[in-house]
This record gives sequence, structure tokens and C-alpha cells, in this order.
Amino acid sequence: MTNYILRRLAQAIPQLFIISVILFALMQAFGDPIAMLGGRIPPRPEDKERLRRQMGLDQPIYMQYVTWLVGNDWQKIDMDGDGVPETYGKRAGILRGDWGNSLVTRQPVLKMIGERLPNTLLLMLTAEIIIIILSLALGLYSALRPYSLFDNIATGLSFIGYSMPVFWLALSLMYIFAVNFRRWGLPYLPTVGMYDPAVGKTSFELFKHMILPVTTLSIISIAGYSRFVRSSVLEVLGQDYIRTARAKGLRSMIVVRRHALPNAALPFITVIGLDIPFLLAGAVVTERIFAWPGMGRLFIDHTERADFPVLMGILMLIALAVVIFQIITDVVYSFVDPRIRLE
Amino acid sequence: MKRNLYVLLSLLVLASMTLAACGTPATEAPQAPVVTEPPAPTEPPAPTFSGTVTITFTQEPDNLNPMYTDMWFSGILREFYLKPAWTFDEKANPIPMLTTEIPSTENGGLSADGKTITIKLRDDITWSDGEPLTADDFVFTYDMVMSEKNVPLSRYPYEDYITSVEAKDPTTVVVTMNEPYAAWLTRLFSYILPKHILQPVFDKDGTIDNAEWNRNPTVGVGPFVLSEWETGSHLAFKANPNWIQPPKVEQVFILIVPDDAAQEAAILAGDTDFGVFLSSDQIAKLEADGKVKVVSVASGYDEAWFLNVNPDTARPFMLDVNVRKAIALATDRFTIVKDLLVESVNPVNVTYWDNTPPYQTDTLTPYPYDPEQAKTLLDAAGWKDSDGDGMRDKVIDGKKVDLKVRYITTTRELRKSVQAVVEQQWKLVGIGAELINHSSDVFWNGYNDGGPQAQGLYDIAEYSSVQSAFPDPDASAGFLCEQICNAENPDGANTQGYCNPDLDVLLKKQAITLDPKLRKELYNQIQQIIYDDYIYVGIWLDPDLWSINSRVKNVKLSGVQPFWNAHEWEVAE
Repeated sequence: MTNYILRRLAQAIPQLFIISVILFALMQAFGDPIAMLGGRIPPRPEDKERLRRQMGLDQPIYMQYVTWLVGNDWQKIDMDGDGVPETYGKRAGILRGDWGNSLVTRQPVLKMIGERLPNTLLLMLTAEIIIIILSLALGLYSALRPYSLFDNIATGLSFIGYSMPVFWLALSLMYIFAVNFRRWGLPYLPTVGMYDPAVGKTSFELFKHMILPVTTLSIISIAGYSRFVRSSVLEVLGQDYIRTARAKGLRSMIVVRRHALPNAALPFITVIGLDIPFLLAGAVVTERIFAWPGMGRLFIDHTERADFPVLMGILMLIALAVVIFQIITDVVYSFVDPRIRLE
Repeated sequence: MKRNLYVLLSLLVLASMTLAACGTPATEAPQAPVVTEPPAPTEPPAPTFSGTVTITFTQEPDNLNPMYTDMWFSGILREFYLKPAWTFDEKANPIPMLTTEIPSTENGGLSADGKTITIKLRDDITWSDGEPLTADDFVFTYDMVMSEKNVPLSRYPYEDYITSVEAKDPTTVVVTMNEPYAAWLTRLFSYILPKHILQPVFDKDGTIDNAEWNRNPTVGVGPFVLSEWETGSHLAFKANPNWIQPPKVEQVFILIVPDDAAQEAAILAGDTDFGVFLSSDQIAKLEADGKVKVVSVASGYDEAWFLNVNPDTARPFMLDVNVRKAIALATDRFTIVKDLLVESVNPVNVTYWDNTPPYQTDTLTPYPYDPEQAKTLLDAAGWKDSDGDGMRDKVIDGKKVDLKVRYITTTRELRKSVQAVVEQQWKLVGIGAELINHSSDVFWNGYNDGGPQAQGLYDIAEYSSVQSAFPDPDASAGFLCEQICNAENPDGANTQGYCNPDLDVLLKKQAITLDPKLRKELYNQIQQIIYDDYIYVGIWLDPDLWSINSRVKNVKLSGVQPFWNAHEWEVAE
């Protein structure tokens, strides 16, 4: 097992390297970061030229990649614009733990990600747990009573939930529970933010501000996941070994728990294992509407300004998480499915 | 196994919750400044602060060191924590802040040749940590902007106009320029950096690009100081008792709310006191409860048509002033603003300077809607519908040319609606329309990136624009002959290709005219020439719209620096 994990990790290194090359090339499509640096007034041509030179954006793309990868502190750059490089660069490169600095905020990328990641995990993991529990419960109940009134209602609601645009659902919830409830004198929820800065970052404040975004995320995903659970349980329930178990005279609860569930859970584990790394990316629309200071917004804000060091940082982090969670999923598989041996 | 997974997940959630809750905020509360000396000779009572004001921003400031940002949302915060040498009130009149007066020829602040400015500082101003603000801070600011070791966003105007900045004594700054620079009032020393904080950083790191202060300016000079910046969430400012005009409000919170619809909900719910960048169709809804007032402030922006008259790229009919006039007369802009906007907020504008007081026109009126005269003009110019397709045409160099105007703008819905209405109006006089919408990044692309404006691939371009040094009126770059954008000059700002030697003379003269009265007269002439040449057709005035909750009193927003009177704000509890 240790061998297997080590081998997979070794394979991940060239994988991540190739990903980084492709991503870096794609970054060029986001546009010219210098052109997007200005506010209402675009920078003057003289300033654009100086910024390109000082930030190393006048270098050919492969040199920029080399700088990103291994740094430029071994190489002189031209800071004063006389055409002669005279100052050593300050970058150490991602291989030496320097993820670069944002072109926009001039902050270290790792620090910027570190400030947002806990917020995103708090929101996304809470939502994910609720999604898993509720979709398992709903899907299972529907599968055990297929085409019953409950199943039909659950199916109908699923389709409504699944086809609802996130922004519409989010704004509707906000208007009902934060704006109108307040107007009607009912107990109400806050509209936006992670906590009220006047009160401070208390657990209760976080809880209050999480209700609406978590509900939004859950409604959209439970719809899809519960259908998935329902169909995989239904499929397993039609198998011969279930009929055999029933024929043995086992109680229906035991048949479901011992025989149906472990088998139906296999595809669900794969789906979740693939989902978890993307939780790090946050939820772009939900975070934007509820002004939740998470990774999704960090990504969008810096996409708009073609701030490629930040984008590279976020994407590489997600790539790393995908690789790791795929290994974890495979390992978990070997536990839950005795047919699979990791050799 | 699954149960273990749940336990693991719950632990992760708990852990991140604790992390999020216990994570130290980006900044520590500033040291309570010790008031050693009251600012005025008559012992005033210690200032008391009460209440909190909340403001929503749709974008997060990127940097709080003005050297590194041109972002509007960063800039307007400076009225809280980093007052400029002088600022502008709600009527765009300059008022001294760190100085005893605005330098002028009368008070000896401006030399006769206009090349030397002597700035007299107040002697009672201290940074929020008690350190006095002196002429050395001004010199330091100049040195930092110009240093090759720093990577500032822009060196304008210091690089272009300033030859030296000297501290004659602790309260006197002498600025020498290579030529008179009319926009000095709006661009010079719009921020001062604290030397006692940043010099040690510069000495140690060799640059202030990554100084802690840039992100966390807990030492400032203004009615408030930054107390916390939780990225993506909010910025908090606390009253600064050391400021010469102590504020009445205790705290100001800036909430970052990127979504416009969510901001509207927050305004309606009362979760924010100020909303920004509203559109005029939101006014009725926001004001319905009577708790919120929407105010408009002159921000320099006007929505307008910019006509392509570049002989190299324009189509032949655009080069005839009578055809341009006919197009203007055939367009009922008055109905457009009545139907699509709020007429009282967005009236039809006349010149490029209508929203830039005091340089708005005194004499000119919008081109009227007169389709009959438009028809007469087009007939006289030889444009007739010879083939009966409803669109006028004319034979030029043996080839039949249709009078079909290529009308480009961005993908904004409002602009698309305007295009559709205009197409119908033009049809009545036989002008055809080719409506094109570009996403805004493409629309603004430079010449070498194939930008449709820069390359002159249009007859009429519609957008909203402002003078680069607003509230200074200078917009010469867009009209000067030498700025015409083409392959040789791809950075040229004159994308209309307009060249008029008479206008060039006036534009160059106003740029070095420091007397506001004389400059205003020059602008009257400039506006007259542009008006008579029909190269600019105003559509509507585009002021910034803010919502203010009625619990906040004494707010006087300005289009230049909205929060210039933040020290006077009061909160009714």
C-alpha cells in the first residue's frame, strides 16, 4: 500500500509539471495585465512600458515561465530603463516555495490564498456535509419506495431544484429572508457578508451569515445528488444477490444495510472524491451574491485583471488537490470494495 | 468507513470554523494616539465619537498606497485616511487641507511664469501617530514615485512636468516645473506618504513595493485611520482624534459587495448606509420606503457619440459636416432619455464638459431634433434614395455608396436599446444603420490588438468618457492632430482622427494657462469649434448615483472626492 501511494505521488510530479506548462500558456489568453491595471484612467504609454519592463512582462513567455518556476534571483533585470540589466531579480520561484506576487495588490500569492481558503472551506464543507446527508437520505428513501407519492414529489422537486439558476435562487432567498422578513417585522437574516464587522467574527455571526449561502448551494446540489443515489440504489436492489438475500428471509432493513448500501455507495464515493478538491475553488456565483470572501471571488476578481500569478496559484493548488484526492479516493475504494487490491 | 468519513468531514468543518473565527484580522487596532497638545489655543472639549456608517463597494480596493493603484475605489478612501494637499468640495471648488491656502498668483504661491509653485503647509498637522507632517514628507513622496527601485503604477505628472521638489523649511515646499502645467491642482500631491514610516522600509528592503504600510496604513493623515482590513469582506476605519477636524462618527465600515442586485438588497434591508454605482432605473425602488435618498454627483462622465472623421479610415459621408449634422438632427435624443433613463438625472448633454463643472457650456444648447432639416441637408449633399430601398445613396467615384452608418458600442443592454431606437428614427429620414456590439475589452483594445475604435472601424462609437485628470477639464489628447491613432502612432488617444489646427492652438494654450478664468474662456472657444464641426454628439449626462440612508446626516458627496466632508457626517441613532 505504501509502495502504491509513493508510486502514485511520483507519477504526480510530471503530471503537475505538464499542467503548469499548459496553464501558463493559457494565461496569455486572459489579456494584458498592464492594460487592465488602471482604474477609470488607463496608464500612460510611458508607464505601461516601464511596468512591463520592471515586472518582467516584456520577457518572452518561456522566460516568464522559467521565472515563475525557479525564480530570477540569479539573473539581472533592467529596472531603470537604460537597456542594461543591473538589479538582481527578487523571485525565488514556485519550486523554492515562492508562489509569486500579485501584479495588482503586490501581495504574495500564497498569503492571499491563505486569507481566503479558510472562508471557502467553512462554507463549502458545511454545504457538502449537508448535501451528502440529505441527498443520501432522500435518494435512499425514494429508491426504497419507487414511484410512491413521496418519490414523485421528490423527483419533481429535484428537477425544479436542478434547473434553477443559482443567482436567481440566491437573490430570491435574500429578498425573502433578509429584506422582506425584516420589513414584515419577522426574525430576519443578514443580506451579505461573512459577519457584521461591528459585532466581530463570532461563531454565531458566522452561523447567521452562512444560512442563506449554504441553503443556496445545498438546494442546487441535493437535487442532482439525490437522483444519483436513488438510481444507483435502485439498480443494486434489482441485482440477483439482493433477491437471494431476501429469499433467505432476511429482514428488509438488513438487506438494505448489509447488501444494498455498500454496493450502491461505490459510485457515490467516486463522485464525492472528485468533488472535494473543487470545494477549494469555492462557489463563484454564490460567493459573489452573498459577498462571501472566498476563493471563487478571489479567482474572478483577478481574472478580470489578468493577474496571472494569482490565477496560476489558485489553479495549481486545485490541480494539486485533485491529484491528492484521486489517490485518496483510490485508497478508500480498496477498503470499501474487497474486489479491488492496490498492488 | 462512511461514518469515519463523516467524522473526518465534521472535524474539517470545525477546524476551518475555528480557523476562520480565530484568525487574526489583517491588521491590529492602531495604537491609541496620545493627544499631547490640543490643536487650537482655546482648550476644546475632547472629541467624542458615536455611531457607525456602513458603505458598500462593488469592487475591493487593491492597494492602499496610492502610488500603486489607480483604482477609483482605492482613491476615494483617501479622504478617510490620507488627505491630499487640497481637496474639492461638492461643487468641485478646491479647498486647502494640509496647506494654509491654495497656491495662486495673488498669494504668491504661483510664480509669474507659472513654473514655480510654493506650497505653505499648516504647522499644526500631525500623522495619526503624533509625528508632525512636514515638507520632508512631500519631498519623500516625490522621491519614492521617481525612484527606479520602486514600481509605481504611474509617475504622472511628476515625470512629465516636475524638475524638483524641495523643502525650503518644515512648512514650505517649492515645486519647480519645466513648463506651466494647468492640471497641477488636481494631480499634484493628491497623496503624501509618511516618511517616518516608509523611509526605514526603503533603506532596509531597497524598495517600498512590498511595504506593510501599503496594505495596512494604520498611520495616516485624515479624520479616520484604518483599523482592520479583512480581505474580500470589509475595511474598517476608526475616528482619528488627532485630525484637525475630528469626525463625529466613530467608525466607518466598507463592505465589499460585488453583486449589484445584492447591493440593492443590502440597501433596502438597511444593512448598508451608502450604495454606489447605481443606475437610474433603481431610483424609484430604492426611494419607495422613504428611508433612502438617491443623489447624483457630477463625475465628469457623459454618454456620447464620437464620430469617426479620419480621412484614412472614415467612410466618405462621414467627412461631410452636413451629413454629420443631418445624423445629429435626425436623432431624437430627448425621447431616448425620457423613455430609457430618468430625464431629470440624465438630461441630453451638449459638450464633453457638461459634467465637469465649472467648465460646462454657458451658451450652447443640445442639437435639436429636426428630421425635416436633416432631409433637406442630405438632399442638398446629394444623398438620395435612387433605388427605392429606403436608404439614401450617392455615386462616388463611379461607385454607388449607401448611407449606412456603422454604429458601434459595447454589449451593455441600455446601449443596445438606444441603438434599436436610433435605427428606427434614422429610417424616417433614409439613413441606414449597421449596429455592432463589442464586449468592452475588445471595444477598448489598442491599435495593435485590433481594437475597433483604435483602428477606426466605425462611423459612430458610443460610450461614456471622462477627462483623465478630472475635475481638471483637459482632454486634449483625444482631439490633438499629433495624437491621431494609426500604425505609426498606435498609442495615440485621438481615435476619431479629427484634426483642426485652430483647435490645436487652443488646446495647447489651455494646457499651460493657470488662470482659471482665462482657461474657462478658452474652453468656451474649444467647445464652440467641436460643436460646429459635429464630431461629438452628447446623449446623456452620466453622473455617479449614490444612495444614502436617512440615518446619516450632513453628507455632501462630491463627484471628485465623494467623502471629502466625512468629518461632518453624523448618525441619528
